[in-house]
Amino acid sequence: MLKVAIVGCGKIADSHASQIQRIPGCEIIGTCDREELMAKQLAERFRVKRFYGHLDPLLREGQPDVVHITTPPQSHYEIGRQCLEAGCHIYVEKPFAIDAVETEKLISLADRTGLRLTVGTDEQFSAVARRMRKLIRDGYLGGTPVHIESTWCYEFGDSAYTKALLGDKQHWARTLPGGLLHNTISHGIAKIAEYLPGESPQVIAHGFVSPFLKQLGENEIIDELRVILQGEGGTTAYFTFSSQMRPSLHEFRVYGPENSLVFDEDQQWLIKLRGERFKSYAEKFLPQAGFAKQYVGSFFRNARLFLARDFHMNSGKKHLIEEFYRSITDGAPVPIAYREILLTSRIMDAIFTQIGTQAPFSPEREVWRKDEPSPE
Amino acid sequence: MGIISLFWRLDVTMDFGIATSDDPILVTGAAGFLGPRVVGSLLDKGFRRIRCLTRSTSNLARLKKEIDRHNGLGRTEIVTGTLLSREDCTKFVKDVPLIYHLAAGSGTKAFSDAFLNSVVTTRNLLDAAFENMCLRRFVNISSFAVYTNRKKPQWRLLDETCPVEEHPESRAEAYCYGKVKQDELVIEYGRKHAIPYVIVRPGSVYGPGKDFIPGRVGIDSFGLYLHFGGANPIPFTHLDNCADAIVLAGLKAGIEGEVFNVVDDDLPSSRRYLRLYKKNVKSFKSIYVPHAFSYLFCYLWEKYSEWSHGQLPPVYTRREWAATWKKTYYSNRKIKDMVGWKPGVTTSEGLRSYFESCRESRSH
Repeated sequence: MLKVAIVGCGKIADSHASQIQRIPGCEIIGTCDREELMAKQLAERFRVKRFYGHLDPLLREGQPDVVHITTPPQSHYEIGRQCLEAGCHIYVEKPFAIDAVETEKLISLADRTGLRLTVGTDEQFSAVARRMRKLIRDGYLGGTPVHIESTWCYEFGDSAYTKALLGDKQHWARTLPGGLLHNTISHGIAKIAEYLPGESPQVIAHGFVSPFLKQLGENEIIDELRVILQGEGGTTAYFTFSSQMRPSLHEFRVYGPENSLVFDEDQQWLIKLRGERFKSYAEKFLPQAGFAKQYVGSFFRNARLFLARDFHMNSGKKHLIEEFYRSITDGAPVPIAYREILLTSRIMDAIFTQIGTQAPFSPEREVWRKDEPSPE
Repeated sequence: MGIISLFWRLDVTMDFGIATSDDPILVTGAAGFLGPRVVGSLLDKGFRRIRCLTRSTSNLARLKKEIDRHNGLGRTEIVTGTLLSREDCTKFVKDVPLIYHLAAGSGTKAFSDAFLNSVVTTRNLLDAAFENMCLRRFVNISSFAVYTNRKKPQWRLLDETCPVEEHPESRAEAYCYGKVKQDELVIEYGRKHAIPYVIVRPGSVYGPGKDFIPGRVGIDSFGLYLHFGGANPIPFTHLDNCADAIVLAGLKAGIEGEVFNVVDDDLPSSRRYLRLYKKNVKSFKSIYVPHAFSYLFCYLWEKYSEWSHGQLPPVYTRREWAATWKKTYYSNRKIKDMVGWKPGVTTSEGLRSYFESCRESRSH
């Protein structure tokens, strides 16, 4: 039985706990939060026996095999380091760390101690993302990707998080080097990192404050971002982040030398784009029929998954956690290669440097719980 | 009110037993839906040092308007801060004998958010008040949402003797969870630290500034409004009535440790309210779902949710059905008898002005 602990008992910890409890062969043995009441409420709701207000006793008494770190990113490195040094594998919520330096240090430490780590970019493990991965591994693209496009949008809704972020100049997300972007773009960037060859791509980034936010008197939060990347072998990528585009897309496209693929994360469809053309007028009619067939196929695929009880709103998280645990128990490869985790961090660093969001990291603002709104 | 205003103008200190009109009074959540009216009611009573706690993201327009309406500019102090900070709490409760704790983690679906903003904040406030050593009354604002509405001692009648939800985590309603835990904490502090508290549980508070159809009437989750309430009375309390009840619960001596439900008289049925809302505010299509069917719907949803390990979240369950749609009558006898409250705004008057305000805000 794999012993699991959760550190940081905010909103995101709920989805970890609920997905972990769906996985056989593991047990949550403890929860931990600097605010002990928060650790207690999570433990009570998920019937976990122990809760802690400090990390040390959790590691010492609980001796977990795996620790899920669901605190804000500012504390990921320090908590991750302590857990690795205590002999625990770590699952770190996204973004993995503040920058590539911290990322590299944690990866090195994991390598040195023979422990495993992963990052919570769970959208890479949704049903359509898994299907795309399989198709690409099976050679559907016909070679190395020529171009990649990742669109990741964000809606300023009426959530407590948005209100707190816009209203509180000291909100923890604002103190990240990349501000709002730091906490939101890693899902979209991680998808690019998976298929972009090389270690250090060229990055050209342009970011700005949307007219919507300016109208609200907000001039600091960059909420529109366009990025061009070029990896090894000439593979290029575009990354688009927008708070204003509608529909608020979470779309991913990979163009290969023979065929291409596109999927929509929200609607969970994947469409194959054939490289070969039909002759003459057939090109004007037959592809549409093919697309219609694929959309209908997506409908039935989703329905089948739903009926099989494997279509939860955050099913990607369950699959990622499962694969990570398998890498620990069975020695299988880690679900997200360390190269990708590091590349994601490097790309994000380059973006934040270019768009000038690099805010100084203040340890005093270190917080322990993610998605912490600012109450009265 | 006229006599009180006269005393205030004459600069006479009034002693309400729990606090005098010269004592600082803390109102948390002062910029929320209820807060401005509570502040207004305190100003009416002649209090001169009302500390209004707001958050940095609060819209202060309604609060400021209320203060202006009562000529309360020199008698109120608007402070901004967070109850998550113990330092802020210590600052806010300094020399305060009476706290009206209205701030809560509402409007969130996340249990952890609701808990953080209802329980952790209340704990910080109570700790600070305990250290300050001059607290004479802590008025904790709870909600009808905390009642399980099952196994009631008097069958269909819901009053203060009814049991509170034992497993609020099973209700899939973060607000209910936060409020049950907040009440538990206040009672525990009362027992362990002799904090003199009163718990006030309002029903559905309605009034200008909040255009809504209570969940007790029905749901519109599936593109069509499903009317579940039928002939059930809806436990409304008008904003002004509720604010008066809260203020009185803070001032009446000898009611420490008591719980008071606040509902108005002459409650409309769900059907009547829906009809009036459609007629006066916005017309839309709705279908009445008889209680047996709504119960079956909740039962099936709950079972599927369990079987599928939460593929559909357990939002419609038998517990939720009992708390929200089971036929229930409500009593306001206790608060009338012990606190001396009576609703100043009648339900027909309140609904008329409320619908007017809804129409007005929609026309803007």
